[in-house]
Amino acid sequence: MSTLLQQAPSLGNTIWFILAAVVLLAVLLGFVTYAIYFERKVIGWMQLRIGPNRVGPLGLLQTVADVTKLLLKEDTRPLHADKALFTLAPILAYAPAFAVLAVMPFTESIQFADLGIGLLYYIALSGITVLGVITAGWASNNKYSLIGGLRSAAQMISYEVPLVMSVVGIVLMTGSMNLREIVEAQRDVWNIVPQFIGFVVFIVAAQAELNRTPFDLPEAESELVAGYHVEYSGFRFAMFMLAEYVYMFGMGTLITILFLGGWLPIHPALSFIPGIIWFVLKFSLYVFFQFWLRATMPRMRVDQLMSFAWKVLLPVALFNILLTAVVISYQNGMF
Amino acid sequence: MLGLAKGLGYTFKKLTEKKITHFYPDVPFPMPPRFRGIQHFSPEKCIVCNQCARICPTECIQLTGKPHPDPDKKGKLIDTYDINFELCILCDLCTEVCPTEAIVMTNNFELAAYSRDELYKNLKWLDDNNTNVREEN
Repeated sequence: MSTLLQQAPSLGNTIWFILAAVVLLAVLLGFVTYAIYFERKVIGWMQLRIGPNRVGPLGLLQTVADVTKLLLKEDTRPLHADKALFTLAPILAYAPAFAVLAVMPFTESIQFADLGIGLLYYIALSGITVLGVITAGWASNNKYSLIGGLRSAAQMISYEVPLVMSVVGIVLMTGSMNLREIVEAQRDVWNIVPQFIGFVVFIVAAQAELNRTPFDLPEAESELVAGYHVEYSGFRFAMFMLAEYVYMFGMGTLITILFLGGWLPIHPALSFIPGIIWFVLKFSLYVFFQFWLRATMPRMRVDQLMSFAWKVLLPVALFNILLTAVVISYQNGMF
Repeated sequence: MLGLAKGLGYTFKKLTEKKITHFYPDVPFPMPPRFRGIQHFSPEKCIVCNQCARICPTECIQLTGKPHPDPDKKGKLIDTYDINFELCILCDLCTEVCPTEAIVMTNNFELAAYSRDELYKNLKWLDDNNTNVREEN
């Protein structure tokens, strides 16, 4: 697949590019559809309910029905909204979420682009989503959406720092930012063991990056109506929802690759099971953890949010870098 | 940190526990015995005393009587009896005041309809509404 990128551009391989992107998009839409279904099911079960069960067998078509409803709704725009930005915001929020998947190695062979700085690419692009959120909050010309958008911006920028710092340990250990090399370096032991502190910081910061419970302040239903997307309806709202879940897909793949050994089996003896199945298993575990957390945790308070990022997560992440550096120097015989 | 793990463990245990959802529209929901549901009316018991129409706080009951066909007998027979369920608040006063228990409460409560006209229930409908009649009135 990566050989396609090195060929001279022609009509033939352009069509291949488009086709591959469409296939990925279809996989994503399928994932989002059933992620929402399982989210509602799992949370329902944990609250002693049964979750959606009316539309289709076992409620499997519930999300399809919801999305159909969403697409049939009137596409409203507030009278005094900034027309251009209002239209741009959902695209700005969704496009990076989809673009980060280009560097993800799902197995040895399934990867769109093998960048030397894959990790940096992910972190850089995922920062753009914040811009989409602020734009949406500003362009709607609504105080709730503005508060939601700014809260979201503050939160996502603050938590991006510990997120990046927590993966520096892995970069130190591997000596590379290439995601494929990071997975290959985990042949003996997955990064979750030597980088456990980094893993914990990453999980917490990722949760805040995704705006999910317990860090779902930007869309806190009970205080901000819905946050930055109050004024959005129909297709544009669907784009924001999609961006949120695609981002969850991206974060799930990233965690699987960085900490859980990507497509590598638990034990070399189990390598007869294809890599993609291992990948999907680890990935689903993370996605389930998300839903589990959402069913368990209440929302964090705003005044605790920032101090938690800067006073707890960041020092811990920095300590982790220091510790990793010391251990690596010791192994290289510097002391 | 420990509390977090505790909470996660608790929700995980609940995952497999028996669900408490009642399958209401598929399985009928049993109402308590003193539930105030849609009235059942038996015309043969009615003596056309008009008390139910007079006590009704929303004036949703309308009834007319006719003279007894047998000229030797006293009293009237019920001719029409309508309850307007757009207004009725199911307050139980009509059944309490009725001296012959011609109008009684049932445990039925499903009144949803697509048209307001369907909420005007006449004598025949109220007579046929004879399931789940309340035992004590």
